[in-house]
Amino acid sequence: MIVSMKRMTLVAHKDDEAAILNALQAIRAVEVISSGQDYVAQAALERAQARMQQLNDAMRSVKPFAKKKAFLATLKEAQAEELFDLLPKATALSERLSALNRELAATKSEIDKNETLINTLRPWSAFPADMQAYAASKRVKYFTGLIASSDVEKLEEIDATAEYQLFNEGVERTCVIACPIEEAKSVSNFLKSLAWADFAFPKMPGTPAEAMEELSEKNRTLTAKKVELEGAVCDAATGQDALVEGAYDAAVIERDRALAAAELERSDATFHLEGWFPADRQADVEKAVSKVTDAFYLDVREPEEDEVPPSVVENSAFVTPFEQVTNLYSRPDPKGIDATPYMAPFYVLLFGMMLSDTGYGIVLAILAALFIKLKKPTGMSGGFARVLFWGGISTIVWGALVGTIFGMDFDTLLGTNNLFPLFVDPMENPIGMLILCFGLGVLHILFGVVLKMKLAFSRGDWQSAIFDSLSWILIVLGLIAFAVPSAVPGIPAVIGTIGIVMAGLGAAMILLFKGRANKNPVMRTLSGLGELYQVTGYLSDILSYARLFALGIATGVIASVFNELCKMLMGSPILVLRILGILVACVLLVALHGFNIAINTLGAFVHCARLQYVEFYGKFYEPGGRAFRPLAYQTRHVRVTNQQTPNPE
Amino acid sequence: MDLQWGTIFAAAGAAMAAVMAGVGSAIGVGLAGQASAGVVSEDPDRFGSCLLLQLLPGTQGIYGLLIAFVIASKAGLLSGVSTLSATAGLSLFLAAIPIAFGGLLSAIAQGKVAVAGINLVAKKPEEQGKAMLMTVMVETYAVLSLLISFLLVNGVKIG
Repeated sequence: MIVSMKRMTLVAHKDDEAAILNALQAIRAVEVISSGQDYVAQAALERAQARMQQLNDAMRSVKPFAKKKAFLATLKEAQAEELFDLLPKATALSERLSALNRELAATKSEIDKNETLINTLRPWSAFPADMQAYAASKRVKYFTGLIASSDVEKLEEIDATAEYQLFNEGVERTCVIACPIEEAKSVSNFLKSLAWADFAFPKMPGTPAEAMEELSEKNRTLTAKKVELEGAVCDAATGQDALVEGAYDAAVIERDRALAAAELERSDATFHLEGWFPADRQADVEKAVSKVTDAFYLDVREPEEDEVPPSVVENSAFVTPFEQVTNLYSRPDPKGIDATPYMAPFYVLLFGMMLSDTGYGIVLAILAALFIKLKKPTGMSGGFARVLFWGGISTIVWGALVGTIFGMDFDTLLGTNNLFPLFVDPMENPIGMLILCFGLGVLHILFGVVLKMKLAFSRGDWQSAIFDSLSWILIVLGLIAFAVPSAVPGIPAVIGTIGIVMAGLGAAMILLFKGRANKNPVMRTLSGLGELYQVTGYLSDILSYARLFALGIATGVIASVFNELCKMLMGSPILVLRILGILVACVLLVALHGFNIAINTLGAFVHCARLQYVEFYGKFYEPGGRAFRPLAYQTRHVRVTNQQTPNPE
Repeated sequence: MDLQWGTIFAAAGAAMAAVMAGVGSAIGVGLAGQASAGVVSEDPDRFGSCLLLQLLPGTQGIYGLLIAFVIASKAGLLSGVSTLSATAGLSLFLAAIPIAFGGLLSAIAQGKVAVAGINLVAKKPEEQGKAMLMTVMVETYAVLSLLISFLLVNGVKIG
């Protein structure tokens, strides 16, 4: 059911602003929308965001030292105030951690730099002179560089006045050439013809060997420092994950409040808040504000024609989880209808039919129930867990109806004589099963059309209800009735006649009235003809329900294939092999059926959703609502317990 | 020696169903896997949603296996005693065609949609449902192929 939204305007003293926003955040009922731009509030928002970022970094550095959380661990609970108390300590910790991490990074890069220097100096370790002093002569020019070993022989052709010396072996050889300063140019030109690369010694005193020793010595100290720093980070971070996560959540709460504050308009003494809230929460809003102050002005009104309120729905406990399925498609238009209550029973029905194995249904329902019980999930995962639970229950029933449990026949397992399947065996009677699927499809689709008709009536548009919706119901039912006598013996032909009359009536209504906005009779009929072509659309929609059957046998046959495989393993005539086979088969059975359940549950979930979205919602649903995002506690690690109940009673 | 054409055709049909649909799924899952690895390298938290999308083109291979198994058991290939008329064997072979080709091509196409879906999830994690739905749209045709193959195999009269 769609909840109607109210538009509020609140004016109060600036001094009470923080307290009022705080109170509104606790009741989680008001979405603040923009009424102005305020640079002071912007600055506060940026500060809040920076703090969140800082704590996020801290969270990342604490994470490697935290104990791994169990998958089923529930969220901790706390009051918002308790979280805010964590902030000073966590901020100090995050500053310390970021200082340590910065120093650690600097040390590491220093070590890397020295390491690189050592590597460049290593070929020169035989060079006997001081790196800075050897080239000091004014009369002699020194060329220092690396030469490819293939070109070393060519050095013999150098000017007679020049001398060269090599210092290592290898592909690239270190080399110093000395010549009188007057010859420098010709030697330099000569070197250009060789595979020669100039080399400059780093600005370090002593011989390369001495410098390398010094650098290694430095690196030993730095490595010790690195180890020490890592120890310090480990000490500071270990066991602090709860603190940092709690503080991060506090920072998120603060940021959300700052976001809301940035939407307010302010005068010298007052602030002005515009927002949406669900109509049934008005008392809460008034109470929250009046608890803070009695100096305020609150105006509440219905949305105007051109305003689009956020879309909020409220449903029974059974239907609520299925809202998540609808949300995957799109939220309902706030002026349309909430389709979830109509969709939920069909979802359960069709889901069970696709999985259709009692054993799998039991496993799925138990797993989903355990997950809900232990993890207490909310939001999307909570919704899906409950959807799967109901799907599992429905699967149990369908499994009995078609007679399979873990891919086996119910009869074989229970020793009953042909009691199962209770309804129809898809392997023995595939056509019967197909007809059942199509029948369900027709029901589902026509239900959608009926909903569209109802919507049109409730808007007072009876023409649309009769000519656009009722006509199609007549055509679809009429055509089916027309086909029945020829397909099933024993049905009187008069049913067929009634059917064709119904279909003809529906078609005539569409032909004559589809284009009722158009005065020109030719155009009207043409538009009606176009609409009649939709009959192919209905046909393909109905055929689409064949997937119910296909996915059903996919689950069942694959399960029996797995059973068959394991039976072969256990069937060895040699005793030892047989025992071994049974052991392997037991493990394999669990794994294979687990895999089958997982992949087919995924398949059933998405194919069922598709039937709802395309075949069902396509007939009547008006999507396009935007989500309601009230000022609330959007925390990730801790469940905030301030005033949780949405309804005070 | 006499060739048992019925058995040969049936075995060829079973092999074709498993191989073609399996190859399609391998290609589709492979494509999606590469895209997933790319996304996960940027954001390891996306692993779960990417894995779901990567799995989707894998179902065709399972459908192929299913039809292969149904044909094999119907033709008596698993128990080893098999006397099948050539007509029945050839019919089983033909019955494998829908899932073989439908599976092969739809798995590849689905893999491509899954890649696009994974990229969508990388940018907008909250739209995972839509990405999955788009991918499943392709699978419809594999499901229909499976159905027809199954009905045809079921309808072949043995002996």
